[in-house]
Amino acid sequence: MRWDIFCKVIDNHGDIGVCWRLAADLAGRGDTVRLWADDASALEWMAPGGARGVEVLRWGASVDAAPGDVVVEAFGCELEPAFIAAIAARTRARGRQPAWINLEYLSAQSWVERCHGLPSPVLSGPGEGLIKHFFYPGFTPATGGLIREPDLIARQAAFDRAAWLRARDIRWQGERVISLFCYEPPGLAAFLAELANDTRPTQLLVTAGRARSAVRRVLPEGSRTGQLSIHWLPLMPQPEFDHLLWASDLNLVRGEDSLVRALWAGRPAVWHIYPQHDDAHLAKLDAFLDWIGAPSDLRRFHAAWNQGGEPVLPADAAPWLACAERARERLLAVRDLTTQLQSFVQHRAGARAGLMGSAPVSK
Amino acid sequence: MKIAQEIRAGNVIMQNSAPWVVLKTEYARGGRNAATVRMKLKSLLSNQGTEVVFKADDKMDQIVLDKKDCTYSYFADPMYVWMDSEYNQYEVEAENMGDALNYLEDGMPAEVVFYEGKAISVELPTSVEREITWTEPAVKGDTSGKVLKPAKIATGFEIGVPIFVAQGDKVEIDTRTGEYRRRV
Repeated sequence: MRWDIFCKVIDNHGDIGVCWRLAADLAGRGDTVRLWADDASALEWMAPGGARGVEVLRWGASVDAAPGDVVVEAFGCELEPAFIAAIAARTRARGRQPAWINLEYLSAQSWVERCHGLPSPVLSGPGEGLIKHFFYPGFTPATGGLIREPDLIARQAAFDRAAWLRARDIRWQGERVISLFCYEPPGLAAFLAELANDTRPTQLLVTAGRARSAVRRVLPEGSRTGQLSIHWLPLMPQPEFDHLLWASDLNLVRGEDSLVRALWAGRPAVWHIYPQHDDAHLAKLDAFLDWIGAPSDLRRFHAAWNQGGEPVLPADAAPWLACAERARERLLAVRDLTTQLQSFVQHRAGARAGLMGSAPVSK
Repeated sequence: MKIAQEIRAGNVIMQNSAPWVVLKTEYARGGRNAATVRMKLKSLLSNQGTEVVFKADDKMDQIVLDKKDCTYSYFADPMYVWMDSEYNQYEVEAENMGDALNYLEDGMPAEVVFYEGKAISVELPTSVEREITWTEPAVKGDTSGKVLKPAKIATGFEIGVPIFVAQGDKVEIDTRTGEYRRRV
């Protein structure tokens, strides 16, 4: 099948990161993908080698393009009216509408299961009379699942942590390793102080960009860091970011894409959720913590990390690790997002269907 | 033109030149997700039902139909009977009652909606007052109203109420969202 994935970068790297992963995964399974992005500059370091079967194109060029078999508007981005008109024209010409998917953000909130897979009639504009479908990534079998490349688990099993750290000039002798990929978490300063004053040494691997700037604001060059050793990492291709997560005992991640990768890592993780002005993100965070069955001290850590306070690491990390391993096991039992999406467009969304013919996806 | 977020149970919308009565709506938003409205619809032409989802700001045509102020009278399985001020009775099918069933009580006021002379649905007032018939004991201290606990009203419908609300209290409920508004 030929896919058109549309991505508008709001800020940060998550939007284009997820779209690239999906595009590359689809192409790896034999489909061809055109990824239309308004700003694909991050792919220069995120996916420097590109991927066979994926063509990255300028958003504006879509006004002259003919749609493929499946159109994905990622995260509710609005397509160009000319492209929507082209979908309508192709539908009239062939008597069958290309599947049109609105791929939404990830959430563990209960309403996601109720909305996943539902049709959304287009009631006005050049696409009037067409049907979109809402497709929600998620954590349960009643959702669209998470992106999990077919070779991910095997790659992870073959990973050599010590060799990876050595290759990055990180002298590791069994110390606690923590990765840091965040915005500007309110609990960062208190946490860094805790690590510096802890009896146990910590190697903190800080990713480039906002995480690095946030740490630098708290610990200007020359600061005393006690038991805390800091390593500044360069911008990393996506596979290297996986390696970072696999090499760490605790992953402090942000946004959506890195949370998913941290879940696959099966190591304890703390989520710096993208903050919303009206605190809508807090309900989303609670739903996630409920889903993973977070121990109370992991919940308290999340509250402090995201809302301010003193994030305290547990004396015994075993319950956090057990929680992460259970979450990974449960997710492995859910079909991955790409498989589900391919199946969905073949069996439901691509059918010639008006409102009546588009019953909810079976749960 | 209305936006999806303004559409309520009992309204009728047009899709592909066909009228659909809205039986139930659910507004949802989480984090960066677009706010959405899930709707349960029933075709007024074929009686078939479906579920759809819209972005909360999607525009749609609402058909303005005849409505009458009525009060709930009694249940004559499978019809709910409503009465106007002149004692005329109108029957509404159970499955067309939508969210009204959550708040139903004798004498409840609502607008009965008519399509081609037939009563097809009811539209509730935007808020109702109901007594809490079950909840965990009230806890003093937190008056922010942000921490919620489950509670039920006489119909068995469950809502979230602040922890200071006690069994027997009367509360105002937003019928559009099913959410607690305030203690009366």
